[in-house]
Amino acid sequence: MVNTDSHKKSSRTGVSRRRFVQAAGASGITVGLAGCLGGDGNGNGNGNGNGEVDGVEDAPSDAIVISADADLTEIEDDIQEALWDAGLDNDIEIAMQAGDFETDSRRDQYTSALEAGRSSPDIFMMDSGWTIPFIVRDQLLNLEENLSSDILDKVRSEYLPSTIDTSEDPETGDLYGLPFFPDFPVMQYRRDLVEDAGYDTSGWDTTPVSWQEFSEIAADVQSQNEDDVDYAFTTQAAPYEGLACCTFNETMSSFGGAFFGGVENLFGPVGDRPVTVEEEPVLETLRAMRAMIHGQDDEHAAAGYEQIAPEAILQWREEEARAPFTDGNAVFHRNWPYSVVINGEDDAFGEDLGTMPLPYGIEEGQSEYDGLGGSRAALGGWNLAVNPNGDNIEDTLAVLEAFADESVMQRVFELNGNIPPIVSVMEDADRDELGTIGRYVDTLEYAGETTVARPVTDVWPQQAQFVYQEVHDVYTQTSSPEEGMSNLANFLEQTEE
Amino acid sequence: MATDQDTAAMDVDTGSGGPLSSVVNWMENLSEAAYAYLLLVPAFFFITLVAFYPLLDTLRLSFIVEGARGTEPTIGLENYIDLLTGSALISRQVLDVGFTAAFPFIELGSPFFRQALFVTITFAIVSVLLETLIGFGQALVLDKEFKGRRWVRVAIIIPWAIPVVIQAMIFYLLFQPTVGFGSELMQALGIFGSTPLANSRDSFIIVLVADVWKTSAFMALLILAGLQSVDRSLYDVAKVSGASPWQRFKMITLPLVLPALIVAMLFRTMDAMRVYGIIDATAGCSTVPSLTCVVVDAVFATRQFGIAAAAAFFTAVVIGAFISIYLLFFADSDGGYF
Repeated sequence: MVNTDSHKKSSRTGVSRRRFVQAAGASGITVGLAGCLGGDGNGNGNGNGNGEVDGVEDAPSDAIVISADADLTEIEDDIQEALWDAGLDNDIEIAMQAGDFETDSRRDQYTSALEAGRSSPDIFMMDSGWTIPFIVRDQLLNLEENLSSDILDKVRSEYLPSTIDTSEDPETGDLYGLPFFPDFPVMQYRRDLVEDAGYDTSGWDTTPVSWQEFSEIAADVQSQNEDDVDYAFTTQAAPYEGLACCTFNETMSSFGGAFFGGVENLFGPVGDRPVTVEEEPVLETLRAMRAMIHGQDDEHAAAGYEQIAPEAILQWREEEARAPFTDGNAVFHRNWPYSVVINGEDDAFGEDLGTMPLPYGIEEGQSEYDGLGGSRAALGGWNLAVNPNGDNIEDTLAVLEAFADESVMQRVFELNGNIPPIVSVMEDADRDELGTIGRYVDTLEYAGETTVARPVTDVWPQQAQFVYQEVHDVYTQTSSPEEGMSNLANFLEQTEE
Repeated sequence: MATDQDTAAMDVDTGSGGPLSSVVNWMENLSEAAYAYLLLVPAFFFITLVAFYPLLDTLRLSFIVEGARGTEPTIGLENYIDLLTGSALISRQVLDVGFTAAFPFIELGSPFFRQALFVTITFAIVSVLLETLIGFGQALVLDKEFKGRRWVRVAIIIPWAIPVVIQAMIFYLLFQPTVGFGSELMQALGIFGSTPLANSRDSFIIVLVADVWKTSAFMALLILAGLQSVDRSLYDVAKVSGASPWQRFKMITLPLVLPALIVAMLFRTMDAMRVYGIIDATAGCSTVPSLTCVVVDAVFATRQFGIAAAAAFFTAVVIGAFISIYLLFFADSDGGYF
């Protein structure tokens, strides 16, 4: 019985177990070998991720890939021309690749790319707010050792000093990023509405007012136009990096307050600097903001300030805050120069758009710390950093050197409103040729001279989260200024250890 | 005879001695079932590797405690202790509860909706419950014969077909003052404050509703599959015996659909415990922190890989615990398929 059974089965299958195992084993080995040998062009298919597989060469990489903003990718051809005109070898081509619009997500993308040792892109456009952590982790190419001394001298002597601070190793002072453009906010306003309300705006473009005066003007102009305009003032106060680095940081600085003592401690030494967020100027900043958001009914509101900002700013970032202003639904608006170009276009407000420096909390020089108080503009901006794993470092450096040419900076400023890192380029440019942004150069220059950087160190990404969450909690009345800042001080001291 | 010859030929071919032929003989003499398992061994091996290696490596990583700046990392349980006592250096804690002498003996270190464990578990329980009820209702409707049933099915399934980020943007815009009407409407009804996406409780509700809106359809589909397999004649018998609609549901529909229902709930619970995308694209992780949010923040924003690994492993443990509850409770129930 048993024999018959097995005989039946084997005749039905027709393939012996032995043959099957042999065949399966052989094809498994073949497929495995083929899989290993046929790895992708970058040699990552062999599983170790570094090192080429014999016989599989990279396709010659034509273009130097630059990961940058989407709006820059749209003017790639113009930038290419400008680079060639600035003396870049005509054989070297660039390819602009759009990175993520949001700075936090962009940082995450670059973190993955550099951690994984990917060879593309060759150049990263990095936010000045998070270049230093990459430098400290030794993930970028040291430009001090690789750029020509002419270019290095030029950067050190002509570039806006505050832009270099965010692209150097805080310990050795070596340069790791070439500042591409700095960014500083200005206050935009509807000149037509303000003047109709009886204010003389001449001289406003370079004369800041105090926050208190500002709140009175804003409230007054809005109340005279309350049928047409809902908001007196829109800004950004959502819990995100921009609150920590910029809107809160600049307002606090204008009140003479600081995260870690004076501006000399901004970039460290971590662990060896005081945490000063519980000091009076910081608390006063929060009380003033509470008054401007929630009005005088708020028990922690500072006296004398009008309620001018909608509570909605607590969930607004740049574009949400810009939308009501561009729609004609707000009188004042704080934002970066990109939005000046949008709002100042002829089909938007044209000449009716005015700009002024951001208001101040206390007069300049009244602060306990040097360099604080007075109108303060948060320093944003972007650096170009080189991927050390790139396939063609030599050409990449040539591209970088071309970006340091004034003609390239001016072209980018004209086309995209990005402020040149050498301020004289902006000053010397023909304002009529610059188009819309040309009308606002005076305010931009003022802002450029009164910037305050965020305290970028290797622990800043962590600290920034605590800052924006605690500040946001105070803004939303979840905690009092004292509670919030005491929590924050506690966190900051732990990260400083 | 034929088999013997084959073996002899094989010995000559390979030129090897006793061991190989004895292995081959052993293989030839295995029962069908044992032979099948033998062939499955490589596949099992790879599946185990793929499934468990990341988990074990995460466990290994979670024991590496980053010291203060400049000091060498050490090995220990500190990451877990920090996570569960609310003292990790992350912006939103997994669990931050203190004990007190007075009733109710515990106090929250940070608000309820700011603690990732509470947010995740509350979200999982409430969303799965609502999705099950609504999905069941939808499935019962779809199980009926009526005109235009096809279109109703399409309408119910559409939310499930929308990509999560787009769906999240819909809700984000809905509750953005000056853009959507949701914010003002809910404020007028006295349910939300004026800035729902900046308020943890309001945002939690928004995320919850968004998830229920989307995934009830998924529950409906799975339950409908169960309903359609119910033998219709059972209802005829019940009707003849004078059973009320409720009795018919309780005695026939529910028990027969239960296996499909449990599987659907199991899937949904696992999914809900891992919630991240819809939070990230609506209110953001700082307003509504889930366990996955903690992991993502610790990896990308603050690069504390030890803490991230501990949070990830803890998440896996919590999900495992929930799944075990399902398995234990329903393994012996009538019609349980586990």
